[in-house]
Amino acid sequence: MTRALARLTRASADFLVKASAVGLVLMTLIVGWQVFGRYVLNSSPSWSEQAALTLMIWYVSLAAAAGVREGFHIRIVALENAVGPRAKRALRIASDLVVAGCGLAMAVWGAQLVARTWEHTIPSLGIPRGLAYAGLPIAGVLIALYALERLLEEAEGETVEDEEDPRWS
Amino acid sequence: MELAILIIVLVVCLAIGVPVAFSLLAASIACFLSLDLPLIVVFQRMAAGVSVFTLMAIPFFIFAGDLMYRSGIAERLVQVAEAAFGRARGGLGPVNVGASTLFGAVSGSAIASASAMGSTLMPLMKERGYDGDYMVNVTVTGAIVGLLIPPSHNMIIYSAASGIGVSIGDLFLAGIVPGVLTAILLMVVAWRVAAARGYARGSFPGWPVFARALVFAIPGLMTAIIIMGGILSGIFTATESSAVAVIYTVIVGALVYRTLGWTRFSQAAMQSVKITAMVLLIIGAATAFGYALAILEAPAQLASLITAATDNPILVLLIINLILLVLGTFMDMSPLIVITTPILLPVVMQVGVDPVHFGIIMMLNLGIGLVTPPVGSVLFVGAAVGKVPVEQAVKTIWPFYCALIVALFFVTFMPALSLTLPNLF
Repeated sequence: MTRALARLTRASADFLVKASAVGLVLMTLIVGWQVFGRYVLNSSPSWSEQAALTLMIWYVSLAAAAGVREGFHIRIVALENAVGPRAKRALRIASDLVVAGCGLAMAVWGAQLVARTWEHTIPSLGIPRGLAYAGLPIAGVLIALYALERLLEEAEGETVEDEEDPRWS
Repeated sequence: MELAILIIVLVVCLAIGVPVAFSLLAASIACFLSLDLPLIVVFQRMAAGVSVFTLMAIPFFIFAGDLMYRSGIAERLVQVAEAAFGRARGGLGPVNVGASTLFGAVSGSAIASASAMGSTLMPLMKERGYDGDYMVNVTVTGAIVGLLIPPSHNMIIYSAASGIGVSIGDLFLAGIVPGVLTAILLMVVAWRVAAARGYARGSFPGWPVFARALVFAIPGLMTAIIIMGGILSGIFTATESSAVAVIYTVIVGALVYRTLGWTRFSQAAMQSVKITAMVLLIIGAATAFGYALAILEAPAQLASLITAATDNPILVLLIINLILLVLGTFMDMSPLIVITTPILLPVVMQVGVDPVHFGIIMMLNLGIGLVTPPVGSVLFVGAAVGKVPVEQAVKTIWPFYCALIVALFFVTFMPALSLTLPNLF
């Protein structure tokens, strides 16, 4: 049961990262088009900057959710590495609970934020501002699901591997 | 009381291994609950924190740097640096710092630099009899230089967090001299330590090899020139120039270097999107956290505490550097920039410090935090790549820390190092 669930969440997280990568490439092309428009076509599109930003908020939300499943969010492992296996498991379960709680809160109050800003239209795009933020509650639901799934795996005693080498900063 | 809740929840979450972004978020939520304020505000601040046009440059810088790395630029930069410094005794140490500095012009990520230099130079250093601790020390401290050499996405975060629109072009220009100064100090230390340990003398690879490496590296280094030139001439905004840099990098990687195929391209896109998501989630959560601090009037209290203690700019900068160094050992760079900039910038501006100058101080100071235990992501990556335990690496790292602290001193108390170049343009 958990095995099948793990496969499903892994596949979905993988899909989210790929979709987000497409978002990044699209965003590059949109801003590239904006430059091309200004210098070659002599008219810069009015929608491009806002569209790129909206796209970014969406793919960041989705990829950030995938990061909970894949374990690529930067965190401090000093204490975890210093204690024995049982305490380590307890720490990981506690940490997953906090993340799941944050995800739940993000789903509930993020949805409220979307509802509140739905009437407000982004001028250059003609879409509701709420739509730009809609990635937030969706990411919240996914974060909660992924954290709970990790928690189940931990509780069953399986070690959930984190992705190594987070190259950033 | 609520401030205590905010801080305690944050510290406990960080300690038990909750990811940094969620620790900040959980602390903000707990604080809002205890203040009986609507939680929607937390997420509204978070959404507003990432809905900033200038932040769009971050994914592009990360993407361009990653593409360049996967196109094999690191090896060529190492060859260029080796031709320049490789002949001295223990020359691979300074070579490492020099190559890191060049890599800083391609990528603004210290972790990317540590893993790129680590994977290309460490095997070579090991082969020539260099000790593991030395390899890690040079690689991780050298990686800090890249934070100062433009392009640097942390400067974008600073510009966005400043709230007064500090010019990204000015910040980029201001970083160059301090970056080179830091590199020189690190090179001297790397060379002295290596000479004392009696490491092997390198050999000059010959002019043809040097020329080939240089010719190969130049199209890659052009990225930095496109970005700087685009911003300074006003042709592009920072965001546009970084997007153009991505497109340029794809063209160079695919058609000039011919090393960038579909697989590497999609790997780069996926890796970049993960790093972007991680960084921007932290920025969003840190914005909410900063807002909670502001409601509790903590920034105003800290500011009045500092200004009540002294109005001497030298002392103020000294105190702030100490605060940042301490915070930097526990926390990562980007959340600290987001949280502390709105608090500290007004304080330093009150005593006449230029916001561009302060940005550079912050980059170097918080950069030092990336290579200090207990929490130093660059140190950990470097140690992992070198397969050396962190405890062993930090035992001999103090001469390199000294070089960084001396550099920080110069950068802090000689504003001209930072401000001369931006004032020229």
